[in-house]
Amino acid sequence: MNKTLFFIVAWLGLSFCAVHAAEMGADEAAQKASHMAYYQGKDGRSSVTMVVTDAQGRTRERQMTILRFNIQDNGDQKYYVYFYKPNDVKGMSYIVWKHPDRDDDRWLYLPALDLVRRIAASDKRSSFAGTNFLYEDVSGRSITLDAHEMLPGDEKYYVLKNTPKDKAQVEFSYYKTWIDKNNFIPVKAEYYDKEGKPYRTIEVLEVKDIQGHPTIVKMKAADLNSGAFTVAEFSDVSYDVGINDDIFTERYLRNPPSQWIKG
Amino acid sequence: MKLMRRPFAIWIVACLAWAATGELASAEWQALGGFMEEAFGYRAGDDNLTKHKSFDMAEQRLQLKDQYTFDGEGLLSRWRSVLRFKGDFTVDEYFAGETDFELREANISLTPASFMDIKAGRQVLTWGTGDYLFINDVFPKDYESFYIGRDDEYLKKPSDAVKLSFYPKAVNIDFIVIPYFTPNTMPEGQRLSFFDSFEGGIAGRSSDRFLVSPAWQPENFEYAGRFYRNFSNTEAAVYLYSGFDKIARSYKDEAAHQLYYERQDVFGASLRGPFAGGIGNIEGGYFYSPEDPKGDNRLIQNSMAKFMVGYEKDLGHDLKIGFQYFYEQTLDYGAYRAALLPQDFFWDEYYHLLTQRITKLFRNQTVAVSFFNFYSPSDQDGYVRFSVSYDMTDQWKIVMGANIPWGQGEQTTFAQMKKDKNIYVRLRYSF
Repeated sequence: MNKTLFFIVAWLGLSFCAVHAAEMGADEAAQKASHMAYYQGKDGRSSVTMVVTDAQGRTRERQMTILRFNIQDNGDQKYYVYFYKPNDVKGMSYIVWKHPDRDDDRWLYLPALDLVRRIAASDKRSSFAGTNFLYEDVSGRSITLDAHEMLPGDEKYYVLKNTPKDKAQVEFSYYKTWIDKNNFIPVKAEYYDKEGKPYRTIEVLEVKDIQGHPTIVKMKAADLNSGAFTVAEFSDVSYDVGINDDIFTERYLRNPPSQWIKG
Repeated sequence: MKLMRRPFAIWIVACLAWAATGELASAEWQALGGFMEEAFGYRAGDDNLTKHKSFDMAEQRLQLKDQYTFDGEGLLSRWRSVLRFKGDFTVDEYFAGETDFELREANISLTPASFMDIKAGRQVLTWGTGDYLFINDVFPKDYESFYIGRDDEYLKKPSDAVKLSFYPKAVNIDFIVIPYFTPNTMPEGQRLSFFDSFEGGIAGRSSDRFLVSPAWQPENFEYAGRFYRNFSNTEAAVYLYSGFDKIARSYKDEAAHQLYYERQDVFGASLRGPFAGGIGNIEGGYFYSPEDPKGDNRLIQNSMAKFMVGYEKDLGHDLKIGFQYFYEQTLDYGAYRAALLPQDFFWDEYYHLLTQRITKLFRNQTVAVSFFNFYSPSDQDGYVRFSVSYDMTDQWKIVMGANIPWGQGEQTTFAQMKKDKNIYVRLRYSF
C-alpha cells in the first residue's frame, strides 16, 4: 500500500515536472536568461573589446577590463570598468553599484584631474561609452521592469515578448528575446518602436564553455535605422577569481586592483 | 625652475635608484602614450594692456606619459608598486616660441599593507564636491589655463607631496604632506589683464607686483587631511588643512609692491549623494587666518566662512544639467573696515555666486556641447564658458570654445577679467 502510494506520488510529481518543463513560464525563462547573461559565478572578470562601425563605415575602438561581483543572485551587483582605449581615456575607471529596484550609484575617476566624480545616472538607456550598447545591455535590465509573455517558439528557442511596465522610462514599446532552450542563454533581442517596427537588435555571435559556464564571448548591437553597429568581444573570461566587495570603492578607483587589471 | 625642484628631484632619484637595484623585473614599461596638440586663442575683447592684442594663446604641446608596474619577487612588487610619469613639452608662440617642459606627474604608488597606500612624488591632488568651485580642495590651480581655454586637465597643477592613505573599517583617511609650496597660477598681466590694487585698476604688462612664496623650510610644510566614509550611498567627508593661501592676497611690503601667501588653516566637511532623482552635494569650510586672527590688520586676509550646495541631474538622451550656489563671508568684517586707510580698496563682506551647467552629447557621444555659467548677484559680474568638442576619430579631436568674463566694476572676480574674452580652437592627436 505504502509502495503504491509512493509510486502514485512520484508519478504525479514527475508528470508535474514534465508539464512544468513543457510549459516554462515566461517569468521563469526571463529570470533564467538574466542569470545566464549577467549573474553566473560569484564574480567574474573579462577583457572587452568593442568596435563601433558607424553608418559611413568608419570604426572606433573601445577596450576595457570589466570586473563583476554579485551581492545577490538576480539582484544587486557591483561592476568595475577600467578603460584602455581610446587613448585619450586610458586609465579612466568606473564603478557601478547596480540596484535593480532603483537608480544605480556610479562613480567615474578621471586620472588627469585626479577627480572622483559622482555620476547622476537615472538614464540607464543611454549609450555605453559611445557604442551601440546601452548601460542596461552591459549590466542587465531588471526583469521586474517588464511584463513577460511567452510567444510560440521552436524546438531550439523560447521566444519572449517583454513589455515595459513604465513606458515613459524607455524608448521602445516592447522587445522580443530568443532564449536557447538548452542553456537559457538569451541569443537575440529585437526592440520595437512605437509603430511596432524593429529598430534595434542585439545578437549573440559566439558562446563558449568557460569553467562549466556557457558564456557569451561575442555579441553585436545594431541600430537598424542608421546602419551603425557595435561588435563586442570578451576574452580572458574567468569566474570566481576571488574579487571582493572592497575594490568597488574610491581607493581602487584611484589605484586599479593590479591582480586583475594591468595598467 | 619649473622643471626640477629639489625636493621632487630627490624623490625621483631615490625611487629610480631603488628600482634599478634589481627590482626591475619581468614587467615592462607600458607603451608610451600621450598626445600632440595645437591651440590658438583669439582675443575677442579690446585688451591693449597685454603683450599681444590679437591673441592670448598660440602653442604646441606634446604630452608623454608612461607607467611601470613592478612585477616580480621583490619588495616593490609585493607592495604592488607603480611608477607613473607624465610630462608636457610646449612651444609657446605667445612668448616668442619659448620652449618649456612641465613635469605633471612623477610618482610612485605603494601598498605596503592591506590597509594602507602611499603615493609619493609629483602628483595632482583633488578632493571635495564642487564643479569648478572649490572650498576644501585647497590644492594649486592654474586659472590662466582656465581662462584661455586649455583643457580642464590644466586647471589642476601638480604638487610635490607624499600622500598616505589608510583604510580601517570605520573611516578612510588621507594624510598629505606637501614640503614644497606651489601657488595658483593667476593672471599676471602679460597674457591676461587683471585688477592690480597697486595700479588702482585693471593692469596688464605694466603690473610690477612681486609675489613672495614661503621659503622652503620644515616650518612651511603644508599638511592636509581627509576623513571620509559612506553612509549607505551618501559620501561624507571631513577635511583639515594647514598651509598657505594659494593666492597672494596679503601685503608684504606695500611700497615695494610685494604681496605674499599668508598662512591659512581650513576646517571643512561635505556630503554628496542621490537627491531628488539626481546627485546633490553640500560643502562648507572655515578658513582661519592665523596671521590676522582678529581681522584688524588691513594688510592681511581675514578669516572666512565658505559654503556651497549643488545639484546635478541626468535628463536622459545624454543631457545633463547642474546648478550650484556658493556663499562666502569675510569674518571680523567690522575690524577689517575699521582698520582700512581712506585710499584702500576693500572687499565686500558677503559674496554670492550661482553656476549653471548644461552638457549635451550628440552623434554617439562623439560631439559634446558644454555651457557653464558663473553669475554673482552680489558682485554683478559673471563668466560664460562655452565649448563644442568633436571626436573625429579615436585619435583626432577638435575643440572650439569661448571664454566670456564680464562685469560692472573692475575689482571683482570676473569683472577684472572682462578684457580677457577669447575664442579658442584646439586640435589634438592622441596616441
